[in-house]
Amino acid sequence: MRTTAQALIFVFLLSLLCFSPSHLSAHPARRTSRTSDAAAQLRQEIDAMKQQLQQMQDKVRQQEETIQKLSSPQTPTPGVPTATTPREEQFKREVKEEIMRDIRPSLAAANKTFPSQFNPAIGFIIDTAGSYRDHERGNFEFRSGEIGISANIDPFTRGYAILNGTPDGTEVEEAAIVTTALPYNLTVKGGRFFSSFGRLSSFHDHDLPFVNRPIVLDRFVQGESRGDGVEVSYLAPLQQYLTLTAGMYNKIGAENARVNDTVPRDFSQFTYLGRAATFLNLNDNNSLDLGASYAYTPKVKIDQGGNRHLAGVDLTYRYTPLSQASYRGLIWGTEFLYNHENRPIGGFPEEGTTSDTPLHFKRRDAFGMYSYIEARLSRRFYPGFLFDYAQDIDRAHRPTFAYSPYLTIWASEFQRVRLQYTRLEEPGNHENQFFLQWTVVLGSHVHGFRDR
Amino acid sequence: MKRITLVLLAALLMLPTPLKGADRKIQAVATIPDLADIARNIAGDLIEVTSLATGVEDIHAVPMKPSFAVLLNRADVVILMGLEAEHAFLPALLEAARNPRILRDEPGYIDCSVYITPLEVPTRIDRALGDQHPMGNPHYNLDPVAGKDMARAIADGLSRNYPEYQSTFKKNLDTYLAKLDAAIARWEQEAKPLHGIKLVSYHPDMIYFAERFGMEAAGTIEIRAGVDPTPGHIAELEERMRREKVGLVVRELSYPAALAETVAQSTGAKLVELPYMVGGVPEAKDYLSLIDYNLHTVLKAVQKGA
Repeated sequence: MRTTAQALIFVFLLSLLCFSPSHLSAHPARRTSRTSDAAAQLRQEIDAMKQQLQQMQDKVRQQEETIQKLSSPQTPTPGVPTATTPREEQFKREVKEEIMRDIRPSLAAANKTFPSQFNPAIGFIIDTAGSYRDHERGNFEFRSGEIGISANIDPFTRGYAILNGTPDGTEVEEAAIVTTALPYNLTVKGGRFFSSFGRLSSFHDHDLPFVNRPIVLDRFVQGESRGDGVEVSYLAPLQQYLTLTAGMYNKIGAENARVNDTVPRDFSQFTYLGRAATFLNLNDNNSLDLGASYAYTPKVKIDQGGNRHLAGVDLTYRYTPLSQASYRGLIWGTEFLYNHENRPIGGFPEEGTTSDTPLHFKRRDAFGMYSYIEARLSRRFYPGFLFDYAQDIDRAHRPTFAYSPYLTIWASEFQRVRLQYTRLEEPGNHENQFFLQWTVVLGSHVHGFRDR
Repeated sequence: MKRITLVLLAALLMLPTPLKGADRKIQAVATIPDLADIARNIAGDLIEVTSLATGVEDIHAVPMKPSFAVLLNRADVVILMGLEAEHAFLPALLEAARNPRILRDEPGYIDCSVYITPLEVPTRIDRALGDQHPMGNPHYNLDPVAGKDMARAIADGLSRNYPEYQSTFKKNLDTYLAKLDAAIARWEQEAKPLHGIKLVSYHPDMIYFAERFGMEAAGTIEIRAGVDPTPGHIAELEERMRREKVGLVVRELSYPAALAETVAQSTGAKLVELPYMVGGVPEAKDYLSLIDYNLHTVLKAVQKGA
């Protein structure tokens, strides 16, 4: 048993000795031939890759050259301008077109237009006041609700209108056409508008620096200087500011009862206006506006066909420290007016009364003025004082005086509250008056040259 | 007869004199001195520019002087900031000037905001939000990169009106832009200590400057643009400034001093007084020195406070 086992171990060992070396000697030969095949293949691949790399390098070099060429004009040597070549221009155009193509839909969406975009600019002004007068006592006065409309009409004209609603009704206060492209510094205005007589006569009530229109303007011009007619204005081509204005109207004065706007009349019954205005820039901070106006009516029907002269001089001094213009300043405005016309002795009989005795007319001269001073203490507080002196057109020897301190408080550019006390001294009426005015602007507003 | 001849002679003298001539300079009116300076850099000897503002004004409160209408009447071009910055005086003056060549959107109307990307464009137009500028904040001139856009717009505008000088304008523009580029690179380096610093100004006119130099505009003394503050707003602003650690109060020189001083004192913030335009202080002689002055004044205040 033991001999059998030994024999088996011997055979196993012998077989190991016989077969193992042949295995060991056969392997290296086969590996050598396989390695040389792989190396050849690898070399081929490397060569192919080298070629590809070379091609890529060439491409990169070409691209770099192109980029360098294209980018070189955008980094010029300081101070040395470079010109663009047509190829660059084309490239730029292509890029631009590509970008525009991408953003075009969103641009179109953002730029939608509507027919209403041609609508004019619209603003609305509410002017209301609470008042107390010794004789009339207290009242809430709704003074006006006013719509202002303005727009260009075409390349040659613009238009504006002011429609005013008051407790007395609704009316067109202004509706005017103004030229914008006439040669020789000319401007023509037509329609219904505030004529260029004086300074504050062409201010709307709510734009006045105080609560009420100065007495002299109320008596001589009679309300705003409204007129239905035509006006030509000329800016003289000088270093010095000088405007000359000539106008022809049915009448001047919104409440002027001498002429009926709806009844046609001879040329001698129109009112003719001339005005010259200039500006003196005393220095950067101080200036003076000067104006002279003259309105002439050859024949006033109700004055027995006599002529009427209304003349005025206005001056406005302004102290506006440039660096503090929004919160410091001072303005002093004065106007003198003179009226000369035929008036019935004792005045016209009051409306509704009849008299058998014919009216006797006499040439009457009357004079009046106002002067106000207003300080700008901050962006909010503007205190001022107005002095009024006005003779009666029919009875010049009985003048009226009024003294009105006031304070305007601007909550913002679009809202204003004004407190005013007036001591009125007129023949047969001496009274104290108190006002609290509240004025606001909704919507569009403009800083007009006329209202400066 | 003699009298009639005299009147006619006087009328003849008043007629506009023919001003066109071969050696006549371009007559330009700029609304602010910054634009006048840049226009001089672009057009050199070809132009004569007058600025309506002297530089010390608040751009929203430049007085509407009739003498400006005379200047505009004779102008070949008007150069303006646009974005309604000149709303308070320019539209009315253009109306009074009777010069159809420079009316809005005519070739002589050179709006420098055409290449500007405006900040703070309102998403809602409402007066309750103050005196809004519907097209965005118009105070871009304090950002020198916007200065490049202003220069481009002026060169374009002048070329549109005077194509015969286009190459000169282009050459001068490139030179000026290179000068601005060099200065901007220097300013951006210098401005590094300002990064992250918060500021409060009187009016919302520091936003472009703040954005350019890494600062943060953190509120205004005005309640809203153009609306003066109330005591309640000031108390709320001071509280917020303390909470958010706002270190700087800017008083633009055309706004009242007292309130800005009070706000700075009560919050411990540094107060700096800055000009808004060229000419606002003697040191700001031109556009580059304006930016120089503003940046260095702010830097000095911040470094002092650190």
